[in-house]
Amino acid sequence: MAVFLDTADSLSTDAQAIELNAVGFCVASHALLRGVNVRFLPGQISVILGQNGAGKTTLLRLLAKEILPSDGRIMWAGRDLTHHSLSSLALDRGVLEQTVDVAFSLTVEQVVSLGAEVGADVGANFALHVDTKARLVARVEAALTACDLQYLRQRDVLTLSGGEQKRTQLARVLAQIWPENDQQPNAFAGKWLFLDEWTAGLDLKHQLCLGTQMQGWVKKGLGIVMSLHDLNYAAQLAHTCVLLKKGEVLQAGTLAETFKLPLLNEALDAVLRIEKDPITQKPWVLPGL
Amino acid sequence: MRVIIVKWSLVVVLMAGIAFSMLFGTMALDLNTVWAQGLSAQQSLVLWHIRLPRVVMAAMVGAGLAVAGVALQSLFRNPLAEPGLIGVSSSAALGAVLIIVLGAMWWGSVEAWHMSLMAFAFGIASIGFIYLIATRQGYTDVALMLLAGVALNALTGALIGVLVFIADDIQLRSLTFWMMGSFANLSWNTTYFVGAAMGVSLIGLWWLKRPMNAFLLGERTALHMGFNPRRFKWQVMLLSALLVSSSVSVVGVIGFVGLIVPHIIRLCCGADHRTLLPLSALAGASLLVYADLFARILISPGELPIGLLMALLGGPFFLMMLLAKRRGF
Repeated sequence: MAVFLDTADSLSTDAQAIELNAVGFCVASHALLRGVNVRFLPGQISVILGQNGAGKTTLLRLLAKEILPSDGRIMWAGRDLTHHSLSSLALDRGVLEQTVDVAFSLTVEQVVSLGAEVGADVGANFALHVDTKARLVARVEAALTACDLQYLRQRDVLTLSGGEQKRTQLARVLAQIWPENDQQPNAFAGKWLFLDEWTAGLDLKHQLCLGTQMQGWVKKGLGIVMSLHDLNYAAQLAHTCVLLKKGEVLQAGTLAETFKLPLLNEALDAVLRIEKDPITQKPWVLPGL
Repeated sequence: MRVIIVKWSLVVVLMAGIAFSMLFGTMALDLNTVWAQGLSAQQSLVLWHIRLPRVVMAAMVGAGLAVAGVALQSLFRNPLAEPGLIGVSSSAALGAVLIIVLGAMWWGSVEAWHMSLMAFAFGIASIGFIYLIATRQGYTDVALMLLAGVALNALTGALIGVLVFIADDIQLRSLTFWMMGSFANLSWNTTYFVGAAMGVSLIGLWWLKRPMNAFLLGERTALHMGFNPRRFKWQVMLLSALLVSSSVSVVGVIGFVGLIVPHIIRLCCGADHRTLLPLSALAGASLLVYADLFARILISPGELPIGLLMALLGGPFFLMMLLAKRRGF
């Protein structure tokens, strides 16, 4: 049975959705994902929750076309993902891996520029994507500002702390998909961010500041799919959730549909307690007794 | 700014090196007499048909080996990947030596392109072999890469030894070139040939500067940025094999250029391939032009094999690099 995440959105955004139909992924006859039916919508933050090895990263890698499904297929904006070229996808979606290790010394600004330059001359229609130098600089600046990195721009990335490196890589990913007029109401439409445990290593200040900005970008049409371990932060950010357990979808849907005690207990194999945050009215998950 | 200064000083240094190489050698040129009387027939023969092709070849090989070093280092994501160190040069030399010793059995006359083709085939096979051994899911195991290089070097060395053993006296003389590397006895024809091969691969690698930059962040990230890592890897392997083998097939094994030059350029001008590739080409060309000049005048009228000279320079440099690494840069 298909579990769809379309909650309160119009048909126009549906056409831009990413839809997984009976997707499975096997490595050497070992199934990392089985029969996944999920739909991710633009303008939403979708959070994937699950234990280590539940298949969160595999799911994100499938979305990024880094690996191809062994079974089923992935529809991206109405077309099979295999028909989208890597270079055209690079203009539409940014991917933050759990860890990126840089081989040689580069400054923070250079790393972020590498992302900004992706849009500069790839794509079938060359003329459409030729950015001027000024536009490149603007994208780099926007990404550096979003990740609070201006004061680190000349630092060698190899000398940064873990959290600073994470922010640098996030800035590079943002620069890759940063829209031209970011103030427009639909500036981020058609763009996606896939974030694999982006909060790991980040201090609280930057987690909160980036989360707030993400909520703003989503309102401008961005679609975000992220994996997280922090249930409370997931409850704050998520419009929809996918609970994964051992490579299968346990439940997918709105926050209210997924943040149920038995479901969470089973997905995470932990004893939990759910309260309600008195101010935001969002679920508040605690280790139970 | 710094890049511009380095670039122009390298251009000046290279030009001066080429001029010195034309002037100095076994046959000395006295500028005053040349100015007054012009070049004698013998002098112009030496200049245009012996010294100039030689200095042009030294510059091309230097640029080619340095750029091959840059390309392999970006492929393996490691500064130690050097054509000599990981066994690519010696494999290409084995291909060339095979043709020198056994070629006469297959073809009536052995021509330069037979050797180059064989050197290329062996060069690319060795890069593919090392890449397959050392890479797991996009990550290169440095220890495996170097050990595979050691194994390849030992194996090709032994096979070359076998071929030396069965070679006759005339073959032995040409074999000596491949063992130590030499710029002696070059003609314009080989220079054109090598120039064409190097031109193609240098332009090809320059075309790959952006995926090379993306590869600094890893194979997966390069894919996320829209580059096809599989295609990129094959392109780099083919083009750097072409660079290494075309230089090995005419001048023999010259090690350490691909290690020293990119390392120094990276230290002073950063790892961005848009500057690293051209500056390494310039610096590699200068390095070999001067090395060849010293190889000729140090023990004049004799000549030091340039491969030996580079090993004498490169060995200590490599040790310094390792010590610097041990201290954590």
